[in-house]
Amino acid sequence: MYESITKEVSDREAVEACLRGETEMYRHIVERYKERAYYMALMFTKNHEDALDLSQEAFYRAYRSLGDFDSSRSFYSWFYRILKNLCINFVNKHKRTVRMDETMQQIFRDWDDYPDEVFEKNERSEIIWKALSQLNEKDREIIVMKDFNEFSYQEIADALEIPLGSVMSRLYYARKRLLKKLQHFEGAL
Amino acid sequence: MNCEQARILLMGYLDGELDSEQEKELRRHLDTCPACRAEWESFKNLKEDTSNMKFKLLPEMYWDEYWEKVYNKIERGLGWIFFSIGAIILFGFGFYEMFRDFFMNPKEPLALKLGVGFLSIGLIVIFVSVLREKLMVRRVDKYRRVIR
Repeated sequence: MYESITKEVSDREAVEACLRGETEMYRHIVERYKERAYYMALMFTKNHEDALDLSQEAFYRAYRSLGDFDSSRSFYSWFYRILKNLCINFVNKHKRTVRMDETMQQIFRDWDDYPDEVFEKNERSEIIWKALSQLNEKDREIIVMKDFNEFSYQEIADALEIPLGSVMSRLYYARKRLLKKLQHFEGAL
Repeated sequence: MNCEQARILLMGYLDGELDSEQEKELRRHLDTCPACRAEWESFKNLKEDTSNMKFKLLPEMYWDEYWEKVYNKIERGLGWIFFSIGAIILFGFGFYEMFRDFFMNPKEPLALKLGVGFLSIGLIVIFVSVLREKLMVRRVDKYRRVIR
């Protein structure tokens, strides 16, 4: 039932209403993007509780900063930058915590380990994850945005602040490098 | 269209982001270029592989209460703003009352009064900010019981 209500209110209308003090209108935005936000946070944290906390915190922070949002652009691209910063800070903080306390070793696992809590496990997925984990951050980010978080090219361009025309070429070279890594792993099997 | 242009456009084709004209042109190139066609097949397989990686689904109850939790954060965030303003006013007033004689004494130089005034306001703001941070971290830090 909620879905039908969400479709009727655009991001821009919801943001304008929020700025007039109608907090309930923010629900339209949260309902629309909560799954993408959660799964993106999950890719960073590999833990569903932390992903929930962080994605909700990102929505709260975005709400507080709605005045800075340029409503001619995509909401999710703008929101993604808030979420990403929050996740990176969280991961860095907990990496330090792990060093301070050995009993906390499993809180955060690096990209190298297959994240059982993120994806259903199968052999092919493990190889792809391994190949992804060996890419540089820029390549990995754009692939994750497109293939795991349903970004459109326009959203990627807005989020990464690059021209729309560069999205295709960035993706091409990133995927090309991913294919190379995959071939390397497949050859080793 | 040369191979270099075609290879970049392969991405748009793969992700459904090309317009019909670009798509037609690319298809014409693929029909005549085995190297680009081979590349297209590799990218298509890769896309299939990544789309077969399924996220573990979150139980429905978490989605049901998702908005409530965001809303609570928004409401409490406003509460903290009022808390901070109130605390600063109260501490400021208490401080002023304690040193009223000093501030009202015409013999004390104005520069000294201003210095003490700004120093006190700064201290109060820092104190309230640290207090608020401690209370908030205590509320959200689930690792607070871990001895570091």
